[in-house]
Amino acid sequence: MTRPRRVAHLDMDAFYASVELLRYPELRGQAVVIGGGRDREPELLADGSRRFARLRDYVGRGVITTSTYEARALGVFSAMGMMKAAQLAPDAVLLPVDFDAYRHYSRLFKAAVASIAPQIEDRGIDEIYIDLSGLDEESLPLAQRIKQAVREATGLSCSIGITPNKLLSKICSDLEKPDGITILGMEDIAQRIWPLPVRKINGIGPKATEKLAALGINTIGELAQADTALLQDQFGRTYAIWLNEVAHGIDERAIVTRSEPRSISRETTFERDLHARHDRDTLSTIFTSLCTRLAEDLQRKAYVSRTIGIKLRYEDFRSVTRDLTLPVATADAATIRRAAGECLRRVPLEKRLRLLGVRASGLSPASESETDNAPSQGELPLRGG
Amino acid sequence: MLLLTTSRDELLAPLQSVSGIVEKRHTLPILSNVLIEKRGGALTLLATDIEIQIRTTTEGAGTGEEIAITVAARKLQDILRAMPEGTEVSLVLDDKRLTLKAGKSRFALQTLPAGDYPRMQFNEGAAVEFSLSQKAFKKQLTQVAYAMAAQDVRYYLNGLLMVADGSELRMVATDGHRLALATTELQGDAPHTEVILPRKTVLELARQLSDSDDPVSITLIGNQARFQFGPIELITKLIDGKFPDYDRVIPQGNPKLVKAHRQALLQALQRAAILTNEKFRGLRVLLEAGSLKVLSSNAEQEEAQDELEVDYSGDSLEIGFNVSYLLDVLNNVGTEEVEIHLNEPMSSALFTLPGNSNFKAVVMPMRI
Repeated sequence: MTRPRRVAHLDMDAFYASVELLRYPELRGQAVVIGGGRDREPELLADGSRRFARLRDYVGRGVITTSTYEARALGVFSAMGMMKAAQLAPDAVLLPVDFDAYRHYSRLFKAAVASIAPQIEDRGIDEIYIDLSGLDEESLPLAQRIKQAVREATGLSCSIGITPNKLLSKICSDLEKPDGITILGMEDIAQRIWPLPVRKINGIGPKATEKLAALGINTIGELAQADTALLQDQFGRTYAIWLNEVAHGIDERAIVTRSEPRSISRETTFERDLHARHDRDTLSTIFTSLCTRLAEDLQRKAYVSRTIGIKLRYEDFRSVTRDLTLPVATADAATIRRAAGECLRRVPLEKRLRLLGVRASGLSPASESETDNAPSQGELPLRGG
Repeated sequence: MLLLTTSRDELLAPLQSVSGIVEKRHTLPILSNVLIEKRGGALTLLATDIEIQIRTTTEGAGTGEEIAITVAARKLQDILRAMPEGTEVSLVLDDKRLTLKAGKSRFALQTLPAGDYPRMQFNEGAAVEFSLSQKAFKKQLTQVAYAMAAQDVRYYLNGLLMVADGSELRMVATDGHRLALATTELQGDAPHTEVILPRKTVLELARQLSDSDDPVSITLIGNQARFQFGPIELITKLIDGKFPDYDRVIPQGNPKLVKAHRQALLQALQRAAILTNEKFRGLRVLLEAGSLKVLSSNAEQEEAQDELEVDYSGDSLEIGFNVSYLLDVLNNVGTEEVEIHLNEPMSSALFTLPGNSNFKAVVMPMRI
């Protein structure tokens, strides 16, 4: 019999907000929301203190990227419109999003974990799965050691769930947040997992939750007891089987330690809706800057892309996408801009736009063999096309 | 209702002329169809992909009713091809189905109404018109067409620049790595006009034109061009864009002139091409007085080497190329000899033909 797996899910506590608090410790204990652009940068006053923007003064259409636990207590959560949030928490401090800083701390905490347990699946900027199966140390001291390493490297706290699989660990890391450790085995499922609402399972979204509620199924325990034939009628065979398995805490997914991203994209929602013709210059500047930043993302991550696509959202919230596959993979801003421009020619531009995005997919590593040693075809100096 | 009785070949030949442009996959189902129209003794077949339209008219289509109907082009063509030559075929229309009868064979095909078929209207207005022999036009297309880009984001390169100017017709194509230019004389005096023919149009013309002295008449109006030759009329949209300034990429005064026997060079390159890297197709050319050596190797470290005598007396030079680009030039010019004008390892090579200033090809080297 094979040894049971041991998988940890580590989730940084209110990550963006906590990074900001490292920078502005005077905000500790206050309601703080992160969102919007650089013009909300705090102002350094003559006496050395800082003046922060308040949510009540916000005018615009940004949404909240994240908030501190204090702000969450006032009902302000991520993805909420900032004007709406201002009604709930007018005195909350508003800070601009600074992805460079978050990425920096993200790298630090992942490196700290890797020094103890190197089998890591990257799940984004603030969470990872860790395969602990190969380690001998008991779960609790191991979790404490990992948390300590993260704290020493970043000054930040995290929450860890350790269970036999990813599904349960993801649920558990959330149970004792913030700064928590939750360890459980398959024998604890009935007691610890079954009382939880079904939406705690990663993969049961709002729609499925609603549909299950209509069947009288609200907790994971009720789901585990549900008639499988009934579930199959409602959700189809595949999803029904999955529902039954996850309700019993079964999840065989492996830890994927090396994964290649499928695509990298950059998008922006405009301050006001823009028209392709009347606001041509503004749009063109934004468009070029998106392409430049996308090219920088690709170059930083050492990828080249063969398929460049665009995404538009019109004033009526309808979205369209178009893409174009290039003969040769690229990470070059001008090439991306040209390809994206070509895509733009293929969409209707009569209506005003609220969002514009550029995406690079069909990614492959910009390995040295391809860029340095490979033959390179010379280009004719064509001009005036 | 009997529509038409004719021989397999009378129907197949014009069908093959028009059906080449029919795309396999269409958003509009009717575009998979060919329009068949008979008025009196004239049989007209017409196909379009909205960008290009080809029509062919033949007289003496035999007796039968006046008709206009559309039917799947490929299926009809495949059926006719599968018949023995000279078979008598008849088309009978009843209740929206077209039945093709030949001997004991019966094929009942779906039809769509001719009235729904999207026909391109040729522009009216100020036209530029000129004509030349099909042979000359085809030769010129062949000398240039291989250098067109395919699916380049610089959409104006996915075609061929045609410049009519006085008694000259010039064609230029480039994909950014190589460029080809050819000039012929025109009968008549055309005002300076530049158009970009789409790639598909160029390939279709090269396929359909014959090597005869019969004329092809070309009419340019606005964003359309019309080519009339034999029984065929081809109307095409033009690519709306500005073609790059080609003159400035043609090198002037490359000092190293190589004169080579075209077939000998072509064959040496074809042999060496076998062991080039499939992706990059890179090949090294080593030039010394009197000799041209070609060297290739692939990812498996297999190697090929070949050598031929050439007329060259300059300094030695090593330069890399995509072998396909060299083969394209040599395959599409018909002369005994070619002249290659070289300079530095990273500067472009110019190909010309002896005693002929009407053809130029430029190939950028490859760093290997």
